[in-house]
Amino acid sequence: MREMDRRTFLLSTGRWLAIAALAPTASGCARLLRWSDSQGGLNESDVAATDGAGSLTTTTDAAQSTTTTTPPIPQLAVIKGESPDLNVRAAVAQLGGMERFVRPDAKVVVKPNVLTGRAPEYAVCTNPLVVGAIVRMCFEAGAAQVTVLDNPTSSPRAAFQECGITQATQEAGGTIKYLTNRNFETIDIPGAEALDSWPLVTDVFEADTFINVPICKHHDGAGLTLSMKNLMGIMGGNRGRVHTKLATKLADLCTLVKPQLVILDAYRTLIRNGPGGGSLKDVEMPKLCVAGTDQVAIDAYGCKIMGWDPMKLSTVAEGARRGLGSPDLSTMDIYEGAT
Amino acid sequence: MARGTSRRRGLHRYRRLFQVFFLLFFFTLLTLTFWPLGTLLMSSFLLADPLLAFNSVVNGIVRWEFLLAVPVLLSPLFVGRAFCGYVCPMGFLTELFGPRHERHPSERARKVLRKLPAFGLVIVLALIVFGSAVFLVFDPISLFTRSASTLVYPTVDRGLRLAGDLLYLAPPLQGGVDSVTEFLTGRLVFSNGLVYRLQLAILVMFVGTLAVSWLERRMWCRHLCPLGALLGLVGRMAIFGRVVDETTCTSCGACVEACPMDAVRTAGHATDCSRCEAGLECADVCPENSVHWGLRPRKQHAYDPSRRALLKAGGLAAIGGFMVFTGLGRIQRNTWLVRPPGARSELDFLATCARCAQCMKSCPTNVIQPAVFDAGVEGFMTPQMDFRRGFCEWNCNECGKVCPTQAIHQLPLEEKRRKVIGRAYIDHNTCIPWSEGHDCLLCQEVCPVPEQAIVFSTGKTLNAIPEELGGPSAETKLPIVIPNRCIGCGNCEYNCPVNNGAAIRVRSVTQTQSLSR
Repeated sequence: MREMDRRTFLLSTGRWLAIAALAPTASGCARLLRWSDSQGGLNESDVAATDGAGSLTTTTDAAQSTTTTTPPIPQLAVIKGESPDLNVRAAVAQLGGMERFVRPDAKVVVKPNVLTGRAPEYAVCTNPLVVGAIVRMCFEAGAAQVTVLDNPTSSPRAAFQECGITQATQEAGGTIKYLTNRNFETIDIPGAEALDSWPLVTDVFEADTFINVPICKHHDGAGLTLSMKNLMGIMGGNRGRVHTKLATKLADLCTLVKPQLVILDAYRTLIRNGPGGGSLKDVEMPKLCVAGTDQVAIDAYGCKIMGWDPMKLSTVAEGARRGLGSPDLSTMDIYEGAT
Repeated sequence: MARGTSRRRGLHRYRRLFQVFFLLFFFTLLTLTFWPLGTLLMSSFLLADPLLAFNSVVNGIVRWEFLLAVPVLLSPLFVGRAFCGYVCPMGFLTELFGPRHERHPSERARKVLRKLPAFGLVIVLALIVFGSAVFLVFDPISLFTRSASTLVYPTVDRGLRLAGDLLYLAPPLQGGVDSVTEFLTGRLVFSNGLVYRLQLAILVMFVGTLAVSWLERRMWCRHLCPLGALLGLVGRMAIFGRVVDETTCTSCGACVEACPMDAVRTAGHATDCSRCEAGLECADVCPENSVHWGLRPRKQHAYDPSRRALLKAGGLAAIGGFMVFTGLGRIQRNTWLVRPPGARSELDFLATCARCAQCMKSCPTNVIQPAVFDAGVEGFMTPQMDFRRGFCEWNCNECGKVCPTQAIHQLPLEEKRRKVIGRAYIDHNTCIPWSEGHDCLLCQEVCPVPEQAIVFSTGKTLNAIPEELGGPSAETKLPIVIPNRCIGCGNCEYNCPVNNGAAIRVRSVTQTQSLSR
């Protein structure tokens, strides 16, 4: 090795130290920038969400009145049938087709329920056929990119693989995304009652279309886990403490995150021992698929499927109180059909 | 000292290539040891280790894969300790990072050092008799696998994560980073980041092993390595070896200086066949071209221990073994010592575990950690479940699949899911619903047992804090563990939001019973 004098030694050490110190600083600055970007972009997507789907009763009906040939779009489309993927297709078709939600070249994020690695027949995770059909429909509508993501409680690769969603997504041409720290940013929730800010998946805010695809199942702690509870999967950080005042916190989250399309998979339902299940004795087969844009309405319908009074489910009650949607199924325009 | 013209013929010219190849092969196998690929062949290097195989067979574990060790064990009869010079990754690194020339310790020190392998073997034998495989901590293959698993892969994990974070700052690269992340997650990059206990101690041990070579060239391989000692024992009966043409040999001593293994004796004429690794540096430097590999080498073994010396060593080893095993009382009481699913009963486990950390490498959740002294001195570096680091994944049985010695049985997935390794206990003083009266529900949510080992009870319980003092109300969902359903997988402990020690912790329930064979 070449001899080095003290001066050169100090200089080179200094250089390396500077590089070592600058790299994390630079990365921190850039993250901050990206974060502020996402905060700005948030409002836009928020508006888009309300325009496209949120205020369904006003804008869409107005659009409908100009084109009298097509029947009015129902608030909920419920399809019963033997095949989960055909059910989804029929339900989305009733809502005006996937083209209504996915513009050409759109970036789509699909959020199924992948709690842990369980085969589809245990009704713990969203049916892979449903996820696959949604990914296909998005591409048929011209989507540029469809990402399927969730934050499972067990090791992500095993969870996605065991529940069949990896295969279904990849066959349909979509991509699975395993979340790491860089996918989360701590995002403020304005007007929150219990959850002021939390690390959330940035992809959801960057996407043009966000599709929530819960499964309808029992949850020993929360009563039922439906579409609002399914959004817990986009939360990062230590999720343990979220479980106190859960309904309020989920409602806070739903004021910020508004999926353009919600598809409730009730082909198989877990009727007890949820959310982890694992026994076929706990599974029933209503063979339903519910699609809509109003999470509270979807959850209310999920309650009906499970034989619950919607207002007894804390998330529905809280969502209705906060004006996030309508839980009143009797006044709702619901299409019920079969394949 | 002019070199001859047509020197360096034969396979030994490519010794470095062999070493590089086997090092790469080693790391390929180890890198592929991830869920759900695991097969026993991932542990090929360990299976081919005669010391490890011998210990297993003595303990009644006979599997055909150990046949891999037979050629290795017999190889010194024909090619010297070529295993050490051509295959062993530890030997390669010792050579790579060691000094290039002889260090010349004092003659006295050298005499003592040359006796070490024989004594080492006696100690190994005594430990086997005492049913402890603790000597495998120093087995080179085990040592190398353990060091690589617990040091290299966490570093790779961190490095890839940092690289991903940096590249993610450039928006055009994000798609690429995402697809690479998708491919590597659960294989080289882990959602929580790999961490192992005692990383510093393992590093010190590894570096120390390499560093002793600065006292004497390749000191580890020459005098300390237990596997080298075993191969050397076979090497004493060598049929082929280094043969010197004594009519042309001028006893110039060039070969004595050149031999990295301290195997050339009597100024070049004789060979210590228990050390010769068939690198043939001696033939390369010989100005007279008088050295070649041939039948019936002239042997001279520096140390032929007398019966008396061996008895002394044996006695010392017996006392050592006894001392080591006085830790047993501690294990008997330590209910925090939870072994991976399928592990043999404690005494068998201590006698057979190779301490190779192959299970730790294969575990997708990082729950398997090296034990410090939880299992006593004799259980140093054996696998232990740390449920604050991870949890036993319901869909995984990798640790049993890759265990080279069957210290962890290879359980079929269905059987592993039923394997009770411990039981969760709730601490009512720290559990959120029990002590603060708020609903929490996480442990119930993550419990993978189909019959639900954790259920909620509502209603007043005698030993709960009264409601008016901030305790649970009649509606609070209080988690309880159903003892005969819990398998001790630790999902609850891992996910418990109570910091530091979780409010629900898994204890071993079989520990005390399992101490009897």
